[in-house]
Amino acid sequence: MNASEPVSRSKFAVFGAPSFWARIGLTVVFVAIAFLASLSLQHLFPYPFLFLFFGAVMAGAWFGGMAAGLLAVVLSTVLVDYFFVPPFYSFAVNATASSYFAAFVVCALVASWVSSSRKKNAEALSVARDQLELRVLERTEELRESNIELQEREKALLHSQAELARLSRVMSMGELTISIAHEVNQPLTAVVTHGHACLEWLSADPPNVSKARQTTQRIIQDGTRAGEVLGRIRALFNNEMPEKAPLDINRLIEELTWFVREEAANRGIVIRTELASGLPLITADKVQLQQVMLNLIMNGMDALLEKGGDKEIVISTRRSGDESEIMIAVSDSGVGLTPEQAEKVFEPFFTTKPHGIGLGLSISRSIAEAHAGRLWAEPRATGGAIFQLAIPIQQQADYV
Amino acid sequence: MSSSNAIVFVVDDDPSVRDALSNLLDSVGLAARTFGSSEEFLSFSRPEVPSCLVLDAKLPGMSGPEFQEELRRTGIQIPIIFITAHGDVPMTRKVMKAGAIEFLTKPFQKGELLGAIRHGLEADESRREDQAVVSALMSRYEKLTTREREVFDLVTTGLMNKEIAAKLGLSEITVKIHRRQVMIKMEAASLADLVRMADKVKTQSSP
Repeated sequence: MNASEPVSRSKFAVFGAPSFWARIGLTVVFVAIAFLASLSLQHLFPYPFLFLFFGAVMAGAWFGGMAAGLLAVVLSTVLVDYFFVPPFYSFAVNATASSYFAAFVVCALVASWVSSSRKKNAEALSVARDQLELRVLERTEELRESNIELQEREKALLHSQAELARLSRVMSMGELTISIAHEVNQPLTAVVTHGHACLEWLSADPPNVSKARQTTQRIIQDGTRAGEVLGRIRALFNNEMPEKAPLDINRLIEELTWFVREEAANRGIVIRTELASGLPLITADKVQLQQVMLNLIMNGMDALLEKGGDKEIVISTRRSGDESEIMIAVSDSGVGLTPEQAEKVFEPFFTTKPHGIGLGLSISRSIAEAHAGRLWAEPRATGGAIFQLAIPIQQQADYV
Repeated sequence: MSSSNAIVFVVDDDPSVRDALSNLLDSVGLAARTFGSSEEFLSFSRPEVPSCLVLDAKLPGMSGPEFQEELRRTGIQIPIIFITAHGDVPMTRKVMKAGAIEFLTKPFQKGELLGAIRHGLEADESRREDQAVVSALMSRYEKLTTREREVFDLVTTGLMNKEIAAKLGLSEITVKIHRRQVMIKMEAASLADLVRMADKVKTQSSP
């Protein structure tokens, strides 16, 4: 919509602006009607009947503006003087009628002025209203557009958040590559070795079929195990949008510790779990919660890097005091946190690691919040740090 | 295989790898005995037969290379074949320098593993044979009198009877008699034979 359009769309434009001569003509017509009506009604009144001329003046001023109003005044004055003010049929005015006549002229002038200025205001008001309407329309359209844009941006944001979360997951998994490779390589080694043994059993004279059969079964078992390992890795790397479903948090933690135990052993770290039994299921996205837990565990391991002595990470689960939440704590005996750091670590791009990008904990906290939960850190009394994750327990949740 | 009563020991923390190795060794007619940790292996009383050890480099608790060092320190002599999922060069160099037979990356091929095991068993067998020869020699040496040992030492350093007699303050005849006695007791066929024996006796008693 264009800013230049409003005038043509106003009500004047619809009826067309009357030309100068049309306004003059209209005024003359009004005065003529008033004159003829007054003339025919005069015999009913004992005094000059002039009020219809005020109507003609006001109508002329209304439709024709100030100039037409004045023209109506002049015409009316002339007609009134000639036909209605004694001596009749003469332009002369006698003394008794002069004040009456003067009053008429003044009234006619005032009426003309009032009418034309009322008209002007009405027009101005109408223009303003039209413009206002137009502005409202414009703004509505703008709002609609920006709303669409906002929705698109939100969608893009969700997408990039999911992608970022996935990347951070891939990075954490990257740190575990060697351990994971080991987990896959073990069953593969068994498969290859059994395969060689199987060939030996079959090429013996006579072939030892029963041993070969047993061996083949082991090959199947170990091959299946290798497949399961890959399945677990794929589940952690998957690229789907978040999907919440009932989830057993203890089982999730057990699966994850399976992933990290190899890496932990390499670094001389013991991972211990203290999982409360009979916890209700929580409604959560499994991959996202795995990511939070993996982040917390890997952070714990990094915190233990520069520390001598016993290196331990404890993962515990319990219900909160009021039974409304499940509390998951990951504590380490590492370098620990100062109270300021305890909040700062959740800021994006804050990192204490030489090769960190500082997104892990900030993503983890946003995941916790997306689950109506909380994630925070505090120093541990005996040295080190505790990261606590609280996730609300759903009403009517199934118990495990 | 050179010896039918040989045993191959396997130490690996992964049960399926242990199982597979034991199956493979069984299929080629080798006796195998598997352990989940180095501690289990140490607490097992090993029979005195030719043997070698297939050792996972990455074990919970004591690592493979640490275990190799521990065996060396406690005087347990057994050829070691390392197996690992991801061997790095420094680790490989370290264990090979410390006398490992082979360093194999999982999954390994049958030929390289069995070749290394065969090599290990042969080495252990010849070590055991040498050991048997030396200990027999030592027990013969023990039977010599003090005077005879003196004569044995001097004869094998290349001295003449006359020189030995002068050194020990004996007559040449007496030296001859002692020398004859030494040759009989040590079961030496010639002087050269006796010199070879002296070398082994010296390396055995010096440390």
